[in-house]
Amino acid sequence: MNNLDTLPKKKILSLFMTCGFPTLSQSKKIFNEILSHQPDVIEFGLPFSDPMADGPIIQEANKLALSSNLSTQQSLNLIKELSKSKNNTSFVIMCYLNTVRKFGLDKFIKSIKNIVDGIIIVDLPFEEESEIKKSLSKNNIHLIKLISPMTDKKRAQKLLKGSKGFIYYVSATGITGSNKLDFKEINKNVKFLKKMTNIPVLVGFGIKSKKDVLEISKKTNADGVIIGSALIQKYFDLKMDLNKYVIGLKKFIQEVKI
Amino acid sequence: MKTYKQPSTIGRFGEFGGMYVAETLMPLLLNLDKSYKKIQKDKKFKKELNDLFKNYVGRPSSLHYAKNLSKFINGPKVYFKRDELNHTGAHKINNCLGQILLAKKMGKTRIIAETGAGQHGVATATVCSLFGLPCYIYMGSKDIERQKPNVFRMKLLGATIIPVESGSKSLKDAMNEALRDWIKNVRDTFYIIGSTAGPHPYPKMVRDFQSVIGKEAREQILKVEKKLPDYLIACVGGGSNAMGLFYPFLNDKKVKIIGVEAAGRGVKTEETAATMTSGTPGILHGSYSYVLQDKDGQIKEAHSISAGLDYPGVGPEHSHLKDIKRVKYFGINDKEALEAFQTCSKLEGIIPALEPSHALAYLIKAFKNKHKNKVVILNMCGRGDKDLFTAAKAIGFDADE
Ligand SMILES: Cc1ncc(COP(=O)(O)O)c(C=O)c1O
Repeated sequence: MNNLDTLPKKKILSLFMTCGFPTLSQSKKIFNEILSHQPDVIEFGLPFSDPMADGPIIQEANKLALSSNLSTQQSLNLIKELSKSKNNTSFVIMCYLNTVRKFGLDKFIKSIKNIVDGIIIVDLPFEEESEIKKSLSKNNIHLIKLISPMTDKKRAQKLLKGSKGFIYYVSATGITGSNKLDFKEINKNVKFLKKMTNIPVLVGFGIKSKKDVLEISKKTNADGVIIGSALIQKYFDLKMDLNKYVIGLKKFIQEVKI
Repeated sequence: MKTYKQPSTIGRFGEFGGMYVAETLMPLLLNLDKSYKKIQKDKKFKKELNDLFKNYVGRPSSLHYAKNLSKFINGPKVYFKRDELNHTGAHKINNCLGQILLAKKMGKTRIIAETGAGQHGVATATVCSLFGLPCYIYMGSKDIERQKPNVFRMKLLGATIIPVESGSKSLKDAMNEALRDWIKNVRDTFYIIGSTAGPHPYPKMVRDFQSVIGKEAREQILKVEKKLPDYLIACVGGGSNAMGLFYPFLNDKKVKIIGVEAAGRGVKTEETAATMTSGTPGILHGSYSYVLQDKDGQIKEAHSISAGLDYPGVGPEHSHLKDIKRVKYFGINDKEALEAFQTCSKLEGIIPALEPSHALAYLIKAFKNKHKNKVVILNMCGRGDKDLFTAAKAIGFDADE
């Protein structure tokens, strides 16, 4: 069973949060709150010292998580513990390749097998993926693909071929947390992708509010959204007060669940 | 050894190299690779670059027989390949001219770069001024502090300097920020990477542009010594000046080649930048190569008195050359480099940059009273003007007195 194979048809909500942020014990509370809303997908970010494709907010989350020497094993243990109450929620890991490589691919897969449904390795392009993809698929873990506005048709066809889970469409050419949303362009590109694939296309990067979520739903053909930086930003807005943050998260998630 | 032919079409030097970047950048890198391949065959491009090398940079740089230093070492005959005489004071300009011509050909209108010592920043700002393109330089705030003369130079040349406050506030973090800028501005921006690091095709492209150093040195030494050198020595940060000198000699089995890394306070300490002595293979800035990392693959901060060598990674081709044992790599610590910096200044009338001072220190240490009748070429890849304040402070000289 892979939860990603039974995602709903529309209005999919995927929430991203960095593991171990701001500390390991507080992170458990945060993920428990997120999980209590049973979003369609939770993306677990594994902190990396040099998160090349992330903006300042997720960078800061990574830095805080790593400042108490969080290990990969601790992050994976956290995910395992949470999976006891995952129900229909899909668990997806989002990370950089060096983390997986250093942990050991086989050991990594063994630790997440039957717990995690998909993985996004941000800096693993199609050209370099074959070995990892094979090992993952043997263990029924989907390798989720990012597609950007820079990806042309020929390349998109290659990326989409045999893709499983969902497509992560990067809505703006930019790093996580960028702010410009161009619905017209998003719609054009999503439509074009949907002609080539049957799996859901989710839009991520730069989605900040209920308004954004509604507009994506109304003005584009996308099957859902991914929200990350906006979720983490709240922690800093609320002056790093965990209790207030958990309440703020609850309110925010209720809002964006449309 | 078979004829050396690296990298593969997908940018592999043996197992090292590759393209490990987000999908947003992949189409750009593939396009860059295609454009680069095209201009390599373009006679007009070659001519344009050669004219600039000759008339703007002042190439060929001379090959100087360092008589006094040779006498002091009491060992081999030492030649300096004098790329410190280049316009802007280091080898970095060779690469920048190549890349900006390519940027022009590709119709890009905005240039970004990272810099550590500021030499690559200055070289980039210089070529941007020459070609009239806006220039944005990412520089760690720690490096801004210790390379002040170069910061002022870049400003005079019209560049905008963007201080980087993340991580160790030095070269690695500047490169992260430059990559993020590129991801955000993919359509109009060309990223001029300053060393043989980063994702394919940069390690190959930068090596090719820098290999003018080795090509010249080969001709020059054959002329004066009527034979190839016995040794080549160069410092290795990301590895561009070293690859530039080494590459045209890789097939000459008899030429022994030595790369010198910065060991900071020592290779056995945590405060080092000697990636190939103290590091392990991993992925940083889009390429698979030796890096300084912990057991979970988190990248460690590097340490060196020389801002240009203060980098926890190294170009993938060096990792390959280390593993096939074609090049040997050694570490030299801050103190040894500072001493060589002074020795060379006093004996040879050449104030070297702190980066090649590491190569000099290795030469003095390892060749003292040895290897007589041998010939060494050392890459004098930069001059010391930019380091005067750092060196004065480290030596205990009050520059304001
Ligand atoms: C004079 C000089 N030498 C060497 C380096 C190190 O770079 P690379 O190893 O790419 O030659 C620098 C970098 O800034 C430099 O300024």
